[in-house]
Amino acid sequence: MNKHKVIQTRQLTDSTFVVRMERSQLDFQTGQFVMLGMNGSTDRREYSVYSGENDDYLEVLVREVKGGKISGKLKRLKAGDDVYVDGPFGFFKFAPSNFEVQKFLFVATGTGISPFHSFVRTHNDLDYQLVHGVRFAEEAYDHRDFNSERMTLCTSGDMKGDFNGRVTTYLAEQKIDADMNCFLCGNSEMIYEVFDILTGKGIPVSNIYSEVYF
Amino acid sequence: MNLSDGERVISVLNEAGYEWTDNEEEAGLIGILACSVRQKAIDKVYSRIHKWNKWKNNKNLITFISGCILPDDHEKFLKLFDITFQMKDLPQLPEMISRYGVTTPTHLKAGIDPHNENIEEFWNVKPNYQSGFEAFIPIQNGCDKFCTFCAVPYTRGREVSRPSKDIVAEVALLITQGYKSITLLGQNVNSYGLDKKGDEITFPQLLREIGELGKRMKKDFWLYFTSPHPRDMTDEVIEVIAEYPVLAKQIHLPMQSGDDKVLMRMNRKHNMEKYRHIVETIRRIIPQATLFTDIIVGFTGETEEQFENTRKAMNEFKFNMSYTAIYSPRPGATSHRWDDDVPLEEKKRRLHALTEELRKHNLPYNNVLIGQTLRVLVRGTDRKDGFLSGHTEGKLIVRFASSNENLIGQFVDVKITSASDFSLEGELVKTEVEVLA
Repeated sequence: MNKHKVIQTRQLTDSTFVVRMERSQLDFQTGQFVMLGMNGSTDRREYSVYSGENDDYLEVLVREVKGGKISGKLKRLKAGDDVYVDGPFGFFKFAPSNFEVQKFLFVATGTGISPFHSFVRTHNDLDYQLVHGVRFAEEAYDHRDFNSERMTLCTSGDMKGDFNGRVTTYLAEQKIDADMNCFLCGNSEMIYEVFDILTGKGIPVSNIYSEVYF
Repeated sequence: MNLSDGERVISVLNEAGYEWTDNEEEAGLIGILACSVRQKAIDKVYSRIHKWNKWKNNKNLITFISGCILPDDHEKFLKLFDITFQMKDLPQLPEMISRYGVTTPTHLKAGIDPHNENIEEFWNVKPNYQSGFEAFIPIQNGCDKFCTFCAVPYTRGREVSRPSKDIVAEVALLITQGYKSITLLGQNVNSYGLDKKGDEITFPQLLREIGELGKRMKKDFWLYFTSPHPRDMTDEVIEVIAEYPVLAKQIHLPMQSGDDKVLMRMNRKHNMEKYRHIVETIRRIIPQATLFTDIIVGFTGETEEQFENTRKAMNEFKFNMSYTAIYSPRPGATSHRWDDDVPLEEKKRRLHALTEELRKHNLPYNNVLIGQTLRVLVRGTDRKDGFLSGHTEGKLIVRFASSNENLIGQFVDVKITSASDFSLEGELVKTEVEVLA
């Protein structure tokens, strides 16, 4: 694992924050993840890269898990501290040139927005629609970085989102072109349900890509 | 993999002057090559080491452990075993043993190196092959796939490919020595070379080199590989297998589940469309190839409908063998954090149902072979008195009447006379060499 110095941590909500580290020449493709660990501990956790391919720093989006072995330690990091980084890994890779049809649907719950944040930072002229499901509108992590016309915030715990309800309810009501490339990231229950909705609308399985967080 | 690792451990210890004993109580040095795929195997390690540590009250004994070890277990083993090392550090084992009790080796304080640096030193150890006719050659170590049910990426580190020239040299040496069955080993054997980003040949190119070697050396042998990952299984691999006679027409292609959603949750990075394409390509290009697979039943959240999709896939692909396992959460794997919510009785029912599917297809397949003469590599004596047994190129088990143990390790021709679900029986019709009874 390689040692990366923390540049800053940025609190987004009480429990969610961004850790920005030195890039240290880590070469990744947007959508991939890294494993983070701390000195003196053998515990490691995987986090999707949050920053873009062209950023000169490396960022991950972290939600503190009660009793978690890593997230609590990451939250206490200060500028100048060391984090151990391994990777990149994963096949949820995203190079627009790989796709014949350049239309993308991104569906995320919670911190599952992380790889899509990396996508749009890297390819900001994409023809995409992002559907982000959270409980409360305050969890709209860095939505300013996305094109507001391409973003739908679904909130299930308050009425402040673009849509009041879960992403699955929202998607079930939408017309989705069969040639859309669909990327799903978040908890497996959401991915299961969205998979059924999309295939039910005629999207071929080969156009559906997923990254299961938990 | 552990069998292959064990051959190298024995070689290193023999070289250092140690002698093997089958009597555990007589040993002055005892080691374990751990496997973290199932919790039960790790539980056994704890049971054994506590017993051995009690023996230390009455005798001199040094214990070591290596192999596939999770970080949490690694920390505990540091306190229980005298020496804990990663397999890549095997060449230093004699030195660790000699220093034990004199100084505390600094490596004991190190964690698991996920990058497998120095793994080439391990590969360069000449193994003490445990068989004179079957050998296993590691060509790659580690895994980057992160299937959610598996802890290997956390125990064996990243995928690292062994230099192809060393692999081909080891194959050549084995062929010269008359080995008949050689298996290339790796966690994702067909991802070979990808970690080198263009500085190493690819897996099909490696197979081609070995195929050409077989042509040049004009010796008979079967080359197998295990296990490939469907994600990296290209048409080219299948085409190369078809092209060269020494590349065995047996393909082990882990499916794990026949349901796309379960595959997503397993983070397998292949779907049934991809799997179906590979099987269709195999059937089209190598129709005589046998097909083996791995399946997990009762994975977390697996519904009856999803299991039925696996059963349908068994029907569709008509595997010759399936290594079907009941899902059990493995500490360290991602799925360990999820509810293991399929009751054990239901898992057993699903396992039984798939075994029945396998039987249903195997018997008709095997019946077609009755009357045919098949080439068989004789591997040993059979449980049935007065019989020897072996396998065909497609790894179908064949037994035949003979008490001539000199045939073990030889190719023979056997005419099949009867078939059952998982084996064939026949009459010896030809041996390749004059073998004295």
